[in-house]
Amino acid sequence: MTEENAAIDDLDDAEDGIDDTGPRPVAADERRPSLIADDVHVKYRVFGGKRRAHTEPGGRLRRAFNRSQRHVGAVTEVHAVKGVSFVAHHGESIGIVGRNGAGKSTLLRALAGLIPTASGKVYVDGTSSLLGVNAALMSSLTGERNIMIGGLALGLTPQQVRDRMDSVVEFAGIGDFVDLPMSAYSSGMSARLRFAISTAAVPDVLMIDEALATGDAEFRARSQKKIEEIRGQAGTVFLVSHSAATIQRMCDRTLWLDEGRLVMDGPSDEVISAYKAAVRKRSGRR
Amino acid sequence: MTSDGPTQDGSRELAELATSYGLRPLGERDKLSTYTRELWRRRAFVWTLASSRAYSRNQNNYLGQLWSVLNPLLLAIVYYLVFGVLLSTTAGVDNFAGFLVIGIFIFTFIGSSLQAGANSVLSNTGLVRALKFPRAVLPLSVTLAELVTLLPALGVMVVIVLFTGEPLSWQWLTLIPAVLLTQIFTSGASFILARVVVSARDLRNLIPVAIRLLRYVSGVFYSIATYVDEGVLGAIMYYQPVAVYLNLVRSALLEQFDADLTLWIAGVAWAFVLLVVGYVVFWKAEERYGRD
Repeated sequence: MTEENAAIDDLDDAEDGIDDTGPRPVAADERRPSLIADDVHVKYRVFGGKRRAHTEPGGRLRRAFNRSQRHVGAVTEVHAVKGVSFVAHHGESIGIVGRNGAGKSTLLRALAGLIPTASGKVYVDGTSSLLGVNAALMSSLTGERNIMIGGLALGLTPQQVRDRMDSVVEFAGIGDFVDLPMSAYSSGMSARLRFAISTAAVPDVLMIDEALATGDAEFRARSQKKIEEIRGQAGTVFLVSHSAATIQRMCDRTLWLDEGRLVMDGPSDEVISAYKAAVRKRSGRR
Repeated sequence: MTSDGPTQDGSRELAELATSYGLRPLGERDKLSTYTRELWRRRAFVWTLASSRAYSRNQNNYLGQLWSVLNPLLLAIVYYLVFGVLLSTTAGVDNFAGFLVIGIFIFTFIGSSLQAGANSVLSNTGLVRALKFPRAVLPLSVTLAELVTLLPALGVMVVIVLFTGEPLSWQWLTLIPAVLLTQIFTSGASFILARVVVSARDLRNLIPVAIRLLRYVSGVFYSIATYVDEGVLGAIMYYQPVAVYLNLVRSALLEQFDADLTLWIAGVAWAFVLLVVGYVVFWKAEERYGRD
């Protein structure tokens, strides 16, 4: 326990060091901010389960009551993100690393404005959106139909979707399958189509959550190009991934989250090596 | 710990930085006029979502879209056997088969619209958490999907009513406004139900119960005028929205029934009052959808 605290303190020092060397841009900095997170807290409720108390005190009756509480009125509030602040700039690609349950995906959704913050604010220049139209797509419908649904869901007009139809089909590399229902696709094909639809509309700030984990190597290369393209258009890309290597390759800046708190924020190489060291330390101790 | 400490100062600094570069804060509800404009801009999305939903329902079997006609037809036969032949609730109705078919089809439409509308936000949490759009799209599109599903059934209904010997007349054209008013009513009610179910999700379990109750009190398979006395109770049963819309549709197709002006006024009033109230009620909680 003390060891872990010490480790985190070290990292906090590192973070402070970065803060000192790189002054927070106010007006002198020529880089324009694209997204500002200001003390963001996110809480959400989970239904149908309750955390067990570590020890269940009291007699049999008390225990029975506690047990019944897990089945009736079982609502748990999860405080997933606890006060995260940072400034992102145009043209930056920012990775988010952390253990499972560190609040990465929740933070990403809050940054995209999809989960309301419990307190704190997110400021965005232009539009921010999460990469992923999966929820809008229907597997019993054809690829073409799904491109239309997805495009409209992203806020395009029907005409814009029709204009981009061919390039989406080509980018996804699904060929004639576009006329078949998506349920007939291989998992790689549907993953490629989903990614292609998602990038049909280019937002100013794009959030990607592990989306690149699927698809073959060629497609991964193409997606990386797409991300570069978005950055080239002065957009900002956020990438959540379990793979530190992916983040190191694609992002020039990294945020490290642990238990909902920002542990470290800086150039990817530094943060990733500190993160890896912490992970090694933790697994070594076990 | 560090993230808790300096935020009080950082907060003002960051807010100033945001305003100096013209960044907009997220998660603030649009004004009602902006919201409505944005919703209008997304009308193609509402329609595509609705038609796709209605279409995908019957897509995974051999007869495919034929089921959208077969289903209501079989349903009508079952109800006719039960209420026309076995129980005989035919008192006061000349053309009971026509009366019953209209009752069943229109009520099924209203009931499934309300059911789908109530769950529209909660059952689309994935969509709400993945994409940004005016959430009013959801109740509107799921109720519209029910209307799309109703259209082939309406065709079946009209054919059955013709077969039962009703004469074709200009009166039949009032079927269109009657169905449209019903649609506006279910959309408005869905806005309210969707918000209620999101904030108190246990109520979701009561919706089917309420719809079952409506089915029995709205004169779906009996004539309210025959079985219920005049007076306050009779007036309430007669002018509650579901009964109003059933009667409006019946008055369009059946010779025996005539809609007076009061009935049409009631139909218009229910539809638009619920739509406006429901829309505002739904919009008020816009930024809260998708939290759980």
